[in-house]
Amino acid sequence: MRRDGNTRGPSLLVRGLFVLAALLAVTAGIARAQPPAPSPADLELGKKLYRTNCAGCHKWHGNGGGGYGGDALSLRHTTLDREQIITTIGCGRPSTGMPYHLRDAYEGDEKKCYGLGPSDLSPGMVLAANAFLRPSEIGIIADYVLARVKGRGEPGYDDCLEFFGTGSRVCNIFKSPVEGGPAAAPPGK
Amino acid sequence: MISFRNRLLGGCAAALIALGFAAGGAYAADVTQERLLNADQEAGNWILHHKDFSAHRYATLDQINASTVKNLKVAWTVQLGGIEGGGIWSHGGLEGTPLAEDGFLYVTDGWGSVYKIDTHGGEGKLVWKMDPKTDHDWAGAIACCGVDNRGVALWGDMVISHTLDGRLVATDKESGKVLWQRQIANPDKGEVVTGAPLVVKGMAITGVAGAEYGIRGWIAATDLKTHAEVWRTYTIPAKGEPGSETWKDDHNAAANGGGSTWVTGSYDPSTNTIVWGVGNPGPDWDSAYRPGDNLYTDSSLAVDADTGRIKWHFQHTPNDPYDYDSVAENVLADVNGPHGAMKIALEADRNGIGYAVDRNTGKFIWATPFVKKLTWTKGVNPETGKPMEYDASKGQQIYNPEATPTRTNKVTIICPGNMGGKNWPPTAYNPKLQTWYIPVIESCNKVTVEETVPGKSYKSREFFTGGGPSNPIKITGSVTAIDAATGKITGKLETPFPMLGGLLATPDLVFAGQPDGHVMALDAKTLAKLWDFNTGGGVSAPPMTFSVDGKQYIALLVGQGGAWDKWFIDGTPELKKIAPSSTLYVFGL
Ligand code: HEC
Repeated sequence: MRRDGNTRGPSLLVRGLFVLAALLAVTAGIARAQPPAPSPADLELGKKLYRTNCAGCHKWHGNGGGGYGGDALSLRHTTLDREQIITTIGCGRPSTGMPYHLRDAYEGDEKKCYGLGPSDLSPGMVLAANAFLRPSEIGIIADYVLARVKGRGEPGYDDCLEFFGTGSRVCNIFKSPVEGGPAAAPPGK
Repeated sequence: MISFRNRLLGGCAAALIALGFAAGGAYAADVTQERLLNADQEAGNWILHHKDFSAHRYATLDQINASTVKNLKVAWTVQLGGIEGGGIWSHGGLEGTPLAEDGFLYVTDGWGSVYKIDTHGGEGKLVWKMDPKTDHDWAGAIACCGVDNRGVALWGDMVISHTLDGRLVATDKESGKVLWQRQIANPDKGEVVTGAPLVVKGMAITGVAGAEYGIRGWIAATDLKTHAEVWRTYTIPAKGEPGSETWKDDHNAAANGGGSTWVTGSYDPSTNTIVWGVGNPGPDWDSAYRPGDNLYTDSSLAVDADTGRIKWHFQHTPNDPYDYDSVAENVLADVNGPHGAMKIALEADRNGIGYAVDRNTGKFIWATPFVKKLTWTKGVNPETGKPMEYDASKGQQIYNPEATPTRTNKVTIICPGNMGGKNWPPTAYNPKLQTWYIPVIESCNKVTVEETVPGKSYKSREFFTGGGPSNPIKITGSVTAIDAATGKITGKLETPFPMLGGLLATPDLVFAGQPDGHVMALDAKTLAKLWDFNTGGGVSAPPMTFSVDGKQYIALLVGQGGAWDKWFIDGTPELKKIAPSSTLYVFGL
């Protein structure tokens, strides 16, 4: 989903500012302490939550992409760390199509997101997610993104099966590329 | 005219049924070409997607009329399914037109389940549901514009339907059992199917969607007896075929040239011609990637029903940089006016202009902008039917330069917006009044161009659009009436929301649904609103009418479908309140 006045996302400068703000948020103590490595069950739950809350824009493979209405950034290529991802999910990114998933992100006087409170926002500046997430769920999604998405190359058959299982024909394309299509992408990782 | 199903009926039963028929009661008859040719005369039935082969969506039933419509109320409802999401979609929706035969309705949900509903006795009872088990992830990931299915066709004793994952399914009308199915489109290539099949002479005609994913569009005919493909006509010519010279690039842009066909067409039996609309070229907004007119994108295409051979075409927006597709149905009308008697094909194009062409030759007759605001062109050349700025010597067309998205004019406001002055929701035509009613989206939106790189930008099953739209400007709608003989606008009722559901015409009324849930009846002559009801769910499907037990009803599927709530909602922020739903509403006096 594209936002008014910012069809291609914010300028690098603006984007940089939000990344910086995310970093500051870490030092400001929003971030939680480093938890233990996620269990397989957590990763499964993370995948499920990712699928319902993120895949609509970032796609199953996390590459997002331009196109009809989407300009979601690639989570495979992201350089953000866990806390920055958590901040981005919870607070969204003002003036872009990245919605906030914390119910009270911009409510009250706490200004927990980028130091912005209700009175700092112009109409349409922040976008509420279709469904809000609890902080613990956001952490689980971030763990999933770090373990299964970030840093992986082009999506391939193995990634696809890992995401969808075998019930759907959605991964066929990576096994036997169609005529006119590109060569098969190398398997993930 | 009616051939009974002798497989099931002994002579005795047949006699009884024949009696029932003579007495005006319900009868179980196979659907034949003969019946389809006369579908407009089966007053209480609705056995073709657009009511008749001419796509009039006009019913002669008149119990519900300008003086009685104020008493119209909900008769009954049935809750349907198919609301679940899949792929990039958070929910499915309803865009289908119910078919009605002898008091039974056949409706679909977005994932292609077919429901047979018995409407006798003043309520709706589910007879059976056929769930085709559509592969949600395979199809939902590449459905550009929602989880949609626009309805079924009837043939013999079968119900013929499509699934989003590209199958043609034949279901036994009596039992709801799947008789056979055939994979006809390939989601691995970005192809999905959302339109209702059109059955002509025992063949199911299928259109395809996927121009936003770099498909090469087609229309295909399947023999319903042998289940074999009879013909498949590509909407983008192969190298060396007529029209291929309109793809002037050196990187085979035609291979991913788009030209979808996802709206059911019409059929003219007098010339055995199927008239079908063709969608936008791909990539949608980077027209420099594909210099040339890009035939047969953005065209009405007339093909021979037996062979699929192209007879004529009429292109509306050559080298389209806007996503102004021409998938819309062509309404076939015989009109009398200042130009004498004419056999015309009417098309309300996404580019905001309504066109009439000679339906035997495709020759241009008239064009009328039907939207309030149109900025992309100064108008249509009255001789050629092409936009005024069109220059045949140029590869890339620059219409109004300020409102033409290009690689140098990267961010542009266009009116109408890319969802078009009229999208798929069907028009209706009242032959008595010679009036054509268009469900209009009154819009502008913003297009951002992204350069497409040969050999690099195309990835199977990923968007191939050369940019994207956004919707900073408020979008409304209207029902606009046009005199089919002259092309003059005779009325416009403005609506607070875009018309996303389509229209139904009866002798003195026009019915329409709105995405905020309101359904309304308008006076056919003045467009004055005579009746209004809030269904409480988003309407993105066309109303239809039928009769049973001697009583007329209006039926309509309610359940926000399509692309609106994902791609265009910012133009109608009030609609964010509308929740997904899935209900069949039936209204009666
Ligand atoms: C409505 C579409 C949408 C949804 C839903 C969405 N995102 Fe985003 N996301 C975006 C867009 C657009 C951007 C790019 C913002 C920008 O331009 O800076 C983005 C950016 C991001 C970034 C920043 C990447 C970087 O490298 O800077 C992260 C991380 C992210 N999203 C994670 C998620 C996760 C996890 C979810 C699910 C909880 C999610 N997003 C849901 C649209 C969406």
